[in-house]
Amino acid sequence: MYKGIKKLWGLPLILLVFLVAGCSSNEAKGQADETNLEGEGAVTEQVAELKVGIPSDVGPLNIYTGNVDWLTDLVYDKLFSPSPYVDEPIPWLAESAEQLDDTTWIVKVRDGIKWHDGEDFTAEDVKFTYEYFRDGSANRHTHHVSEVPKIDEIEVEEDGKTVRFECAYACPSLASITFADLPILPEHIWKDVENPRQYNKLAVGTGPFVLKEYEADQYYKFKANNEYFMGEPTVASINMPIIKDATAMFNALRAGEIDASTRTVPAELQDSFKNTDAMKLAKVSPLSIVQFGLNYERKPFNTEEVRRAVSLAIDRQSIVDTVLLGQGRAGLTGYPHPDSPWTNPDLSTPYDTAKATEILDSLGYKDTNNDGFRETPEGETLRMNTIVSASEPVYVRVAEMLKEQLKDIGLQFEVEAMDATTYAAANSEDNFDTYVSLIGPHGVADPDQFIMSHRASYLWTKDIAYPAMDTLIEDWMAASTIEDRKAISFDMQELYNNQPTAIALYYPEEVFAYNATVYDQYVESLGYGIVHKYSFLPEETRQAVSATAPKFVE
Amino acid sequence: MNRTLSSIGKKLIQYGLVFLVALTINFALPRLAPGDPLLYFFGDTINELTEVQKQQALESIGLDGSLWEQYIVYLQGIVTFDFGVSIKYAEPVMTIIGDRLPWTLLLVGPAMLLSAVIGVILGAYSAWNRGKGRDVSLLIGMLTLQAVPGFWVGLLFLAVLAVQLGWFPTYGAFSMMQDGTTWGYIKDVAVHAILPLATITLATVGSNYLLTRSSMLESLGQDYITMAEAKGVHKKELIFNHALRNALLPIFTHFTMTLGTLVGGAVVVESVFSYPGIGRLLYESVIARDFPMMQGIFLIITLGVIGANLFADLTYPLIDPRARTLKKTKGADMNHA
Repeated sequence: MYKGIKKLWGLPLILLVFLVAGCSSNEAKGQADETNLEGEGAVTEQVAELKVGIPSDVGPLNIYTGNVDWLTDLVYDKLFSPSPYVDEPIPWLAESAEQLDDTTWIVKVRDGIKWHDGEDFTAEDVKFTYEYFRDGSANRHTHHVSEVPKIDEIEVEEDGKTVRFECAYACPSLASITFADLPILPEHIWKDVENPRQYNKLAVGTGPFVLKEYEADQYYKFKANNEYFMGEPTVASINMPIIKDATAMFNALRAGEIDASTRTVPAELQDSFKNTDAMKLAKVSPLSIVQFGLNYERKPFNTEEVRRAVSLAIDRQSIVDTVLLGQGRAGLTGYPHPDSPWTNPDLSTPYDTAKATEILDSLGYKDTNNDGFRETPEGETLRMNTIVSASEPVYVRVAEMLKEQLKDIGLQFEVEAMDATTYAAANSEDNFDTYVSLIGPHGVADPDQFIMSHRASYLWTKDIAYPAMDTLIEDWMAASTIEDRKAISFDMQELYNNQPTAIALYYPEEVFAYNATVYDQYVESLGYGIVHKYSFLPEETRQAVSATAPKFVE
Repeated sequence: MNRTLSSIGKKLIQYGLVFLVALTINFALPRLAPGDPLLYFFGDTINELTEVQKQQALESIGLDGSLWEQYIVYLQGIVTFDFGVSIKYAEPVMTIIGDRLPWTLLLVGPAMLLSAVIGVILGAYSAWNRGKGRDVSLLIGMLTLQAVPGFWVGLLFLAVLAVQLGWFPTYGAFSMMQDGTTWGYIKDVAVHAILPLATITLATVGSNYLLTRSSMLESLGQDYITMAEAKGVHKKELIFNHALRNALLPIFTHFTMTLGTLVGGAVVVESVFSYPGIGRLLYESVIARDFPMMQGIFLIITLGVIGANLFADLTYPLIDPRARTLKKTKGADMNHA
């Protein structure tokens, strides 16, 4: 018997493996300290190489097929920078812009700028890009020229460096929104592109970094454009391996194989990065909202009072505390994002189940068969689904919490987690009662997009009358100053939050870990995180685009 | 002789039919899943498109025709070896597969061989020592390996050997910065391949071991073994020449079947190690609903599986004399008739 046990040599080996697995995460910390203490003092000199892990592949930076703004913006420039999400974007490829009357703008473009392939950048490129966006295939930027706002005519004046824009209706925010959103494409390349979605050459822009190499699903290699008109980049080359698996990404960061990652570090992993001198954890506002969308075309959410009742019944703070471990802000001020300069600062979306119950009672939604759930006023069973993408486990938990919270006011929900694309299909085909998803900066911080969202079926659709909102949109379109538009926007937002079609649950926070001994000049530009072109431009340029030092997790 | 040819011909027709059915399924499956590639391009903003714009976008990726038209184009493509252009990568499907396949073969090929060799040797050893301590501990060890998911082993390797000890890189198939020498490149690729290769080997060795062990136990129970043992045949010869040779038949079948899945790659391990193989490509294509890409990969897998079956069919008589004689006798009978 004893002999038999002695010969079970395989067992201790297996136990050992399990034990080592348990210890590994703790011991990994000490190592990063030792390996990364070199490379200090790189404040003024150009840093030779920076390795930034990115979690997804967006193709050869073709804005028609892959759309990650901070990444495409390394290569492309816009007339104004940094984005429509700051108070006052500054002229960038434009030297100046002037509004002549309600519908006319003229823009002078900078001289002496070259495309990465050596060709001259001219005003014709601007005209070409805007027309290409307006008349050609749609991408996420195009509505900024084709609908809200609508630019009828674009002409280059005789001096060859002034572009005149003629809008179909008042366009006071053309410079602060449209100019700050549309990347300018080189005419000499794109004029021959018949099918922009099948264009697979490396992006050629005017930006601070040249895309040298792209290997699908593997990596990007960028080289600094040392002639950049806004100053020589602070890093000579940026290599970006694509690491999709979260664990693999953070492993690579701990092992020192990459210097930064653009994947947010979840709350439970932050401690493992905190205790090293080399690593810093920057906390930024990604200008996004996790929302509970309601199908406003279906019963019962086609009634505005029901939507209000649901909004009243959601305890947003408890979702943040339970699911996010406090990492995030509860959506107490509703939609759009409170950090956007275009958002009404006085919005509020209270939590009041008593009032919610009262509303449902008064509408005739009552529990007539005593099963704990309300029936419709016609006496039919009322059972709704919440669709959510299974690739977003956090949203699945949020949906489960909503189900519990709404049970308290007698509404019955089923959570249906499904594969990401199936989810997207169900969502785009309006095949749902409710959904939980995330909407990014372009959706929740761009005031023109708010209008667009009410026309193009996300928050509402042109096809259904919505008299109160329609009147406001008409007023908005007629308003000819930014101040007037803002005031009307504020009213729209208030109306919206009173009967929301997508309820703001929380405003996520993102935490990025990076190795400060390799590079430590990252700045935050609202909605862009810390890895973007402004982090790699000279100090004075960073200040000019109002990029700020990020907050750190201590 | 003619009979043999006609039987081969029959087999080919049989395989041809299977191939055609598989091709049709390969075409239909991607399209049966909800969603289309536009969702991948546009994400949430798809709702901002008008019907005309949507139609335009579908046209630009060749998905505007009816299903029937698309099917004809697909079949024509296969006959002319033109498998279309990937929607996500905007490059010919075969170019992309050609880029990825070597990486998968580099990982999965050696891993399967290793796993078979180790599994067979340990299985034979275990069976010979049935009931003893070494058999029991091996059995427990192998059952554990069999039960532990492959990705977990991979994560463990990464956490300990790559992150903690720093012996291996944590991702990719090669470094982004090369020293430019061929030898350096080979070394770099080898270092990157070790952990994923070991992971696949460990994840699959259990089934080879268990199969060999049970097959061996059956052989060892046969009368001819007792006979040979009584004749005084040497132990080594007894295990390898008498018992294992017979026990190998089911293992060989198992091995050839898995050969077919070789080209399908190892989705999970390739993902954990960010390895640019076919498995990960397939996963990405499914997420993007990249129909041409999925069709291309399915085609390769179909060919792999059918090829492996054909290979098994043709080579089985070589290692099993019974299958050989059976055919011969049958053939001879027919000739007489």
